[in-house]
Parts: sequence; structure tokens; C-alpha cells
Amino acid sequence: MSNSNVPSKFDVVVVGAGPAGSSAAYLLAKAGFKVLIVERGRGAGTKELYGGKIYAPPLREVWPNLDKEAPIHRWVTTERLSFVWKGRVTTLDFKLGRRVAFTTYLTEMAKWMADKAVEAGAVLVDEVRVDEIITEGGKVIGIRSGPDKLYADIVVDAEGVNRILLEKLGLAEKINPDTVALGVKEVINVGKKAIEERLLLTENEGMAWLLMGDITQGIPGGGFIYTMKDTIALGLVLHIGKAYEAAKSGALKDTVPMMLEKLRVHPYFSRIWRDADVLEYGAHMTIEGGLRYMPKKLYMNGLVVVGDAAGLLLNTGYTIRGVDFAVYSGKLAAEAIIKAFENGGPTEENLSLYEHMLKQSFVYKELVKHSGIVKMMEDPTFFTKLPAIVNGMMGKLFEADYEEPTVLEALLESFREEEMSLTRFLLKMFSVVSRL
Amino acid sequence: MSGEVKGLRPIKIEDLLQRTVYDVDEEPHIEIIDERGVPKELVKLCPCSCYSMVGERLLYSYEGCLECGLCRVLSEPWGLRWEYPKSGRGVQYRFT
Ligand SMILES: Cc1cc2nc3c(=O)[nH]c(=O)nc-3n(C[C@H](O)[C@H](O)[C@H](O)COP(=O)(O)OP(=O)(O)OC[C@H]3O[C@@H](n4cnc5c(N)ncnc54)[C@H](O)[C@@H]3O)c2cc1C
Ligand code: SF4
Repeated sequence: MSNSNVPSKFDVVVVGAGPAGSSAAYLLAKAGFKVLIVERGRGAGTKELYGGKIYAPPLREVWPNLDKEAPIHRWVTTERLSFVWKGRVTTLDFKLGRRVAFTTYLTEMAKWMADKAVEAGAVLVDEVRVDEIITEGGKVIGIRSGPDKLYADIVVDAEGVNRILLEKLGLAEKINPDTVALGVKEVINVGKKAIEERLLLTENEGMAWLLMGDITQGIPGGGFIYTMKDTIALGLVLHIGKAYEAAKSGALKDTVPMMLEKLRVHPYFSRIWRDADVLEYGAHMTIEGGLRYMPKKLYMNGLVVVGDAAGLLLNTGYTIRGVDFAVYSGKLAAEAIIKAFENGGPTEENLSLYEHMLKQSFVYKELVKHSGIVKMMEDPTFFTKLPAIVNGMMGKLFEADYEEPTVLEALLESFREEEMSLTRFLLKMFSVVSRL
Repeated sequence: MSGEVKGLRPIKIEDLLQRTVYDVDEEPHIEIIDERGVPKELVKLCPCSCYSMVGERLLYSYEGCLECGLCRVLSEPWGLRWEYPKSGRGVQYRFT
């Protein structure tokens, strides 16, 4: 912040140029506020890593020209879900009837969103790590980076999942390992033509493919494959609390990067990228259960919290919706801030509108509706037994030499092999499903 | 399953990290302060294998850090000094 072109007093300081911060900054700048975005990375997007698929409708509410202007790689036209077990793979393949989500790099998308905010008049200062949100008499008055301080009427905390600043401020507690997951990802340089031929896609069509089974070595989580324009994103998401337990008990055989490498060379999946190089490797944390991750309060005098930092992410196991939720919370925060200034300023009372609006919105309602799935995702029955039973049954049905079992026989036999009783399994599934 | 793709072998983490771009700071952004507050399970779990056991000691080197925050979550606050790199240093993601 030694940059002398930057004035030292802004209406709004946004911490973090991710989807949540840049959408709030964009709307506030458009409404005439003096907005500063502070980002620790070298330009927006350089610290971003996610899976690969973004739901468009909430983003269109902020950027109506999204479809034309955003760096969209492919529209998702195929969703796949595979159960993987001991070399056997059973896959569900669904062709979508309409286009709702697209694939892209978040590095690229975050840059686009930040550029939009700057075009609207916001100032972006990068390579600056915010070290503290400063308060005076219970009111947030600005931020500190090293020895430099910068003051604002309101701070928007959009720092993401690893919410160090909120913890320091006392608004969030130390992260509970059971509420977060670790994502590791490789970007593989397959080439446009090979992607389209090998996955039966045409130009601009994309695939989102989720994998479940022994690829996570018993740890709740799964794998993902997303098609970009000319690369494929391949990754694993692992429940951190359970991964720690597995490592501690000795049940975990491989290191996390080796688990991902074993998936890359998997006899079935690897044929898609058999001749391609790994372009990039990275890791990022994400949230397991949004509601459990939510701080007790999402606002205080002079501060609002948006995006991942606020726990606004839906992880159903078959889909992660973080980017669109982050953008939507940024939009609601901007609207609430504009209202607060109309009513005399960003006081605690005026900003309570943000939480109120959020609770009325689809974001919060979705989190409540799907909270049961968080429990299911931690249940080993679901993660290990289901892929084993599905593939066990398929094996019995289709790998018979002479005598084929009936479907029921195959099903019962595969339950027996997994030392599970059908009734117990069904009861368990029922108790889980009733909570979904 | 038969028909393994020939010649495909897991890449070692040292080689995998060569694919990722870094601007390594001269000063470490993460340091072990007290080993007793840092679980040795990080040897398996850290995605860049920054942690290693040498004899009984848990060692850490920050250069390959992917800034995921996992070790911060699993360690005691007094076990690690954990900060993001300053001045835009550290990992520089491009296609993620
Ligand atoms: C493995 C994985 C897969 C995922 N898959 C998907 C998916 O397919 N679809 C989807 O919609 N979502 C997905 N997500 C979730 C999605 O990435 C997040 O929900 C989303 O990025 C949250 O946006 P945000 O703006 O709140 O935070 P972030 O995107 O994390 O942005 C935070 C920004 O703040 C900056 N920052 C942090 N601290 C400071 C500081 N102290 N000073 C200055 N700057 C700071 C960071 O550098 C960063 O630019 C996935 C996440 C992971 C990890
Ligand atoms: S932040 Fe992540 S990548 Fe960096 S040392 Fe800790 S666990 Fe490893």
C-alpha cells in the first residue's frame, strides 16, 4: 500500500479478489462507491484452485452479459457418476436437456470478475497481504498490512475458506478438521480434439464426471474429472478429519499426491489422457458442510463476511456449488451496504439486513435443505460399501462363466461379500435419504 | 481390469511440483515452532510432501507449499507460525 496513486480513504475495502469479493466490488463501484480491492496474489486468480464447473444463473444476475463475455470453456452437456471398486467401474451417464453450468479455470474466471470490478471504477491493489482487520471501540475501521493501515467506512471480508483474518478478529473459531476437505488437482494437456473424440463431445460441449470408491482409500470424498477447452482437470477431494484419522491409524497407505497419481494412471480412466502431460498440480481447501462452517454472525459494525469465509458453499458429494454462492452473497452484501448507507451508514443494525436477505435467498435455503447430506458424506457405509456392492453385483451379473445369477441373487451375494445385511443397509440408506 | 495403458507410471511428487510455477520468497512463510503441536501425519497428508520425518524429527521445507492451509488446520496454534507468503510470492496458479 505504499503505492502513492492510491488514496488512503475509501468507502469500501474488499479483502480478496475471488468471486465473492469481486462481485461485491463490482456492484458497489457501479453504484458510485469508492471501492478498493486488496488481493495477496500477483493479480486476481493466481491463488485460485477449484474443481471446474460453475452454475450460470446466479452469475447472470450480476453480469447479464456473462454468456457472451466470460471466459467460458464448455457448457456441461454430460454428467457422469462412476462407482469405482478394485478395477471395476460402474457409470451413470446423463445427457442434460438444457445448459445451466459451464466449465472454466477459476484462475481465468476470477481475473475476469476482478477486471469487471475495475472497469466499473474499483481500484485493485494486488501483491498485498492483509494481516489484520482493525477495530476501534467495537467497530471495524479498516485494515492493516505490515506497518501500513488503510481506513474505510466498511470492510467486506472475502478472504475465502482459510479465514485467518476472521479468526484474529474473533468472529470465527479455529477451523474444525471435520468441517473441511482437501482438494488436490492436476491439469492434463489432452488437447481439444482428443477430448471431444474420447468423451463423445462436440465443440463447446463439456463433461462433469464424479467418481466414488476405493480411489479415496476409504476416506469420505471422491474424484472429479472436468473437461476444459483443451485440458482435463482431474482431482480428489478428501474429508480432512477422516483423512487424519486414517493416516493416524495406519489405514492410509499412500501420500495424498500419490493417491491422485494412482487415479491418473488408473487402467480405465487413464486411457482418456494416456498420451498427455500434466501441466500443473495444486491444492486448495474447501468446505464440507456449509452450515457448520458458518460463523455465528456474518456482519458487525463496519464489516460484512461473504463467500467461503461465511461458509456459503454447498457440497453434496455429487456437486460443489461455491462460486455461484460466493457471487450471490457478494451481490446481497452490495445491496445491503447500499441500503445501509441510505439509512445513515454501515452500523451493525443497518447491516443486519445482509444476514436477513441471505436467509431469505436460495443460498441459505439450499444449505438448510441439503444439510442431511453432510452426515451421509461422513458415513463410511456410503463411501466404501455402496461402490463395492454396486460393482460386486455388476460383476456377478456380467462376469459369469456359465450360470448367470438372477439380479436378486447377485445383489444378495454382493451384500454378503461386504458383510452387510440388505435390511441394515436399506435402513441406513433410508435414514440418510429421509434427511436429504 | 486388464489392458493397462503402457508406460503410465505415477509421477513422484518432486517431479509433479516441477509443473507448478512458484516465486519462492527468501523467507519461509511457514515455520515449525514446536514439533509437539504439529502432527506427523502431515508427512502423508500435505499435498506437496513438505513435511518429512528424519529419524524422530519432523522437518518442514516451505518451497513447494501449495498454500492449502491443511497443516494450519491440523496443528495447534502454538505449533506453527503460519502465514501466506507476502508480496505476491509463493505458488502462481495458471490453469486451475
Ligand atoms: C477442490 C475444490 C473443488 C471445487 N469445485 C468447485 C466447483 O466445481 N464449482 C464451484 O462452484 N465451486 C467449487 N469449489 C468452491 C469454490 O472454489 C469456492 O467456493 C469459491 O472460490 C469461493 O469464493 P470466495 O471469493 O469466497 O473465496 P476464494 O475464491 O478463495 O477467494 C479468496 C481470495 O482472497 C485472497 N486472500 C485471502 N486472504 C487474503 C489476505 N489476508 N489478504 C489479501 N488477500 C487475501 C485470496 O488470494 C483469494 O484471491 C471448489 C473448491 C475446491 C477447493
Ligand atoms: S499449507 Fe498445505 S501445501 Fe503448504 S505446507 Fe501446509 S499442508 Fe503443505
